[in-house]
Amino acid sequence: MTDVTQQEPRSPRGRRDVLSGAMLLPALVLVGLFILAPAAYAIVGSFFEFTITSRNWVFVGFGNYARAAGDPVFWTALRNNAFLIVGSAITQVGLGTILAAILDRGVRRGNAIYRTIIFMPVVVSSIAVAFVWILILDPNVGPLNAIVKSLGFRPPKLGWLGDPQISLWMLLVIAAWQNVGFQMILVLAGLQSIPKELYEAAALDGARGFRAFRYITLPGIRNVLIVGTLITVVGGLKVFDLVFVTTGGGPANATQVLGTYSYLQAFRLGNMGYANAMSVVLLAIAVLFGWLQLRLSRKA
Amino acid sequence: MKTFLQRPVHIMAFAVGLLSVVPAALAQDVTLKMWTLDNPGYPEFIAQAAEAFKKTHPDVTIEHQTFPGDAYKTSLPVALVGSDAPDVFFNWSGDAAKRLVRDGLALGITDAAMAKGGFGTELGAGLLDAFRYDGKLYGAAADAVSKYVFYNKDYFATNKIALPKTMAELAGVCKAVRAIDPDTVPMPLGNKTRWKAIHWMTMLNERVMGIDGTAADYDLARPADALFTDPGYAQAFDELLKLQDAGCFEEAPNATEYTVADAMFATQASPMEFCGTWCTAGLDAAGFTNYGFFRLPLVEGGKGDAGANFLVPEGFQVSSKTQHAKEAVEWISFLVSPEQGAKFAELTKFLPSNPKMIDSVPNATPQFREIVADMGTFTRGVNVLDVLLEASVADAYLNATVEVLNRTVTPAEAVAQIRQAALAAQAKLPAK
Repeated sequence: MTDVTQQEPRSPRGRRDVLSGAMLLPALVLVGLFILAPAAYAIVGSFFEFTITSRNWVFVGFGNYARAAGDPVFWTALRNNAFLIVGSAITQVGLGTILAAILDRGVRRGNAIYRTIIFMPVVVSSIAVAFVWILILDPNVGPLNAIVKSLGFRPPKLGWLGDPQISLWMLLVIAAWQNVGFQMILVLAGLQSIPKELYEAAALDGARGFRAFRYITLPGIRNVLIVGTLITVVGGLKVFDLVFVTTGGGPANATQVLGTYSYLQAFRLGNMGYANAMSVVLLAIAVLFGWLQLRLSRKA
Repeated sequence: MKTFLQRPVHIMAFAVGLLSVVPAALAQDVTLKMWTLDNPGYPEFIAQAAEAFKKTHPDVTIEHQTFPGDAYKTSLPVALVGSDAPDVFFNWSGDAAKRLVRDGLALGITDAAMAKGGFGTELGAGLLDAFRYDGKLYGAAADAVSKYVFYNKDYFATNKIALPKTMAELAGVCKAVRAIDPDTVPMPLGNKTRWKAIHWMTMLNERVMGIDGTAADYDLARPADALFTDPGYAQAFDELLKLQDAGCFEEAPNATEYTVADAMFATQASPMEFCGTWCTAGLDAAGFTNYGFFRLPLVEGGKGDAGANFLVPEGFQVSSKTQHAKEAVEWISFLVSPEQGAKFAELTKFLPSNPKMIDSVPNATPQFREIVADMGTFTRGVNVLDVLLEASVADAYLNATVEVLNRTVTPAEAVAQIRQAALAAQAKLPAK
């Protein structure tokens, strides 16, 4: 029979594990407190009907999810999130890649200045960016209308942010303006990590231009593009401040995204349970994309 | 020889002396946490009031925090259910206050308010009603805001434009302005944040149907089959569209910030604006002084009352969680005293609920005095829809008005949307 009171001295590996655990503990506690616990609270809350000020929680089962399924504004918000995700991936990653390629190969002088100028909006707060664009797009005093008119065109009658058909596109433009610099830097770093010798060797074999891009550049920056796309996707999912400040989800809910619509339901209309249910849907989509990211990264 | 304590007279004197000292020694300092909006002048007003209050309440300290309007609407309910709620807080009368009463977060303060020196003995019955629910008082009105059509006196005189008496005449004024210069926006709206147009609808509903014609719908008290079915609601939207057709508003009102609309009038680029009494401070700051104002005209054939005008009381409530209810009520009673009413007008440029000493305000403009005088003649106050209505109905009204202005729905379709929201809200009401 083994003497349980007698402890064997810990192996170096065991000590390392304990040390690792101890070092991870603060982060785990913070994640638990500020991410897992609120997420669990939201999941539980999504099965109840309650307001922010009421003490009574009424159990409604999947009622809030059924309500979302039948709420046209919820679907509009979800569609808008999808539009911003796909649109941002194309405009931000696509344009960022083009700009990075130009700066990597095409620009001989002033590279750092161009890079700084394009990157500058990234460090500006989203709220400030939104306010600047509100002024630019204002139909009465904004410069965009003046430019469009001076070119002999007619600006949109209901305004850039007042027309339900245009306002979402304008959000895409603003988001691209703010974030393209980040994508550019990311891709540029990837491009610069590709050894020049590869291109020289390929050139000897007759692979230039698009073929060199297809067989050398693209595989070389594949991982960077995956990461950049996923960052954009997550940004498109959690978008709130830009929409909240520029359009407030309007006109008449046309630019609602799940973030702003959940906020409206929770804090303005007092439907906390319903807002929780929408947040859970958003969480599920985010988890799905996170899982995809892991898979794609491993494959790459 | 008798000792000191053996003499009955000495003992009694000692006891009396002790009794007079002990309460002062036992009295603890009280800190009242107060939340208000960050309206210009508010911090200065509260700071001087807190100092003046100290003279009669040396143990009470006021800790004042301010918030912008949008942040306030969400921060307040969160704070009130939390563990660090403000003792006293600003609120709008209407659904916002009613919700806190219903959820037990606002303290009923009738007895303290009606006691000697309480605000209940200072304010008129109409203003007390602003925070009265089920017969009990849940707050004190501190001020009231109204709205008028402000106009540029020089412009009207130079172009020989008469003040309109009806809505049709108001549309005529807009046409006259456009005839002088097609690029001049006669009356900028600035409805990007949705509340400017709802103020129009608040008054147009009154001008078409009268206060009594809408009250049961607004309270969701009408039977479901009749709720929001009065054709007057669509007619009110039609009146708004008539103004839009007359060229009154800018081309894209739903994309224009209210600050831009305010600036267009203040810089005299536009000759009119339907603006709140709070706008006078901005006009003063912009150095624009030669302006007048008139109430929104009547709709011909409508049931509106020329004496009724836009009136939104705002005030202070006490948290049900406060440990210092007595001091809190004394504090808000002090804030609405005649002296503090005058200070309030001086520092915030808002009309105080207690205007007894308004004549003593040193820096009041002629327009401010005229507005004070005019508001005193209102026969009835018209509370604003986005404050008065149940939140989901108010949201539907805000969106419907945006869509009507964008011409993406007709007035009849807009009213149908509002009715749908009202029916859903009515169905959720607790059975009486």
